[in-house]
Amino acid sequence: MVDSLFPSIENTGDDDASPESSRKKRRISETSKEAETEARRTNEESLKRWRTNRVQQIYSCKLVEALRRVRQRSNDAGKVSGAAREIRETADRVLAASARGTTRWSRAIIATRVRARLKKHRKAKSTGNIKSRKATTETKRIKLPAVERKLKILGRLVPGCRKVSVPNLLDEATDYIAALEMQVRAMEALAEILATAAPRTTLTGP
Amino acid sequence: MDLTQGFSARSGDGPCREAVTGLESLNFSDGFRQLVTMPPENTGSSFTALLEMPATQAMELLHFTDSSSSQANVNRVAGDIAPHTLHNPFRRLTFPSNSLLLDRAARFSVIATEQNGNIPGDSVPSNSGENLDRVKAEPSESDPMMENQNSTQNQNNSSGKRKEREKKVKSSTKKTKSSEEAEKLPYVHVRARRGQATDNHSLAERARREKINARMKLLQELVPGCDKIQGTALVLDEIINHVQSLQRQVEMLSMRLAAVNPRIDFKLDSILASENGSLMDGSFNGESYHELQQWPLDGYHQPVWGREEDHHHQANFLMASACLQQYQVKMEL
Repeated sequence: MVDSLFPSIENTGDDDASPESSRKKRRISETSKEAETEARRTNEESLKRWRTNRVQQIYSCKLVEALRRVRQRSNDAGKVSGAAREIRETADRVLAASARGTTRWSRAIIATRVRARLKKHRKAKSTGNIKSRKATTETKRIKLPAVERKLKILGRLVPGCRKVSVPNLLDEATDYIAALEMQVRAMEALAEILATAAPRTTLTGP
Repeated sequence: MDLTQGFSARSGDGPCREAVTGLESLNFSDGFRQLVTMPPENTGSSFTALLEMPATQAMELLHFTDSSSSQANVNRVAGDIAPHTLHNPFRRLTFPSNSLLLDRAARFSVIATEQNGNIPGDSVPSNSGENLDRVKAEPSESDPMMENQNSTQNQNNSSGKRKEREKKVKSSTKKTKSSEEAEKLPYVHVRARRGQATDNHSLAERARREKINARMKLLQELVPGCDKIQGTALVLDEIINHVQSLQRQVEMLSMRLAAVNPRIDFKLDSILASENGSLMDGSFNGESYHELQQWPLDGYHQPVWGREEDHHHQANFLMASACLQQYQVKMEL
């Protein structure tokens, strides 16, 4: 049962290009300005990175450590509320840490937490942001074409990518989706382990 | 033509041995045989071995690189090789063999570094055309090569040949447009023939669109069920739905983990340990089960932490090896 915690994940080839051909494209693209090969090359590597077993193990370890620390902190503080939110934020932060700061969304996730902490310390209010947002919604807005509208929505979904150019946004979204899938897999396995390890105790508890 | 048939027959699969037999069966002249023995001169026999190309074609290519790049040389070699009847088609035949060779050549580092200076220059006249079958058969591989050739062809001019070649490969190499557009001057008339705009803005626009389309394709492959959908808007819809569903899944899992969290301390070490040592599965579970039954279930009580220490001692031995392994992996990153 426990052996299934880290199932061996096959490196499913995202596309039909073999590693050799991607290497070939890397060399050729020196002279050509073909965007497709460059995009493919960088994205393939990053996507394959998120699918490896090792990455999932690393994430699980870090997540476990972080969860332990969070529990310790909440223990000291003495309150129990908001556990799910804390855990999600912790998981996101650990995911961003696993990304090693190479992607925009990972930096944004870490940055928001830092900013939230600063705001808590300084007790500053973010009324300025709220005001500006209201202003844009109040003014008459022409309906953007469907694709651009959807791109904006996507930008809002991916953390830290609201005002990012379209090709970069697509790149970030690709990496973000791969990372999210890894996160879901790891958390699923972890929850499974923890749940099945002591199943009866929940029922017999007070 | 036997030669063309031989080539086209191979369009479906990789070349190599079949090509060799096909060519040999055509009974080329001795000059050809001579070329066959020439390989070691240039880059060593490993070149052809790596390329998996019939030695004959490899020889052609090598012979081309030896001679100065010009159509005449190619034709001359072609003439040397092929019987007179095959001369005309063979002139065109040389093009694709080179392109295909270049495909494979570029794939292996040994070749690419050596030949990169030579081949592109020589490939100008000898490219495209002919094995349209071949080019089509491996469009994904040939595209970058074609692009490379296109960009480097600029240096070698002979726009007439290029027009011819471009017309031939028009159907298979759509992606070469973007790189061709980058070099405007000699291509103006070609593009006009194809019915595309030639000014700066359209070029930039097309390059931008290529970039975006490339990334969209990657996203499509990543998100399940997007392959069948046509149109950017619907694909984006799917992508947004997928991201939202993933985020919701993370929320659900975090709620589950929050419910299970009290047990995270006792179970963790045993889990990490037993992951590597499967023997401990049953025993640890049994132990922890009993222990947990005795302890209060509220995870925020102090005794929990005390108990954890005992558990630590028990699991320490196994956990050390397991965690060390994982920490080492972490360090590697």
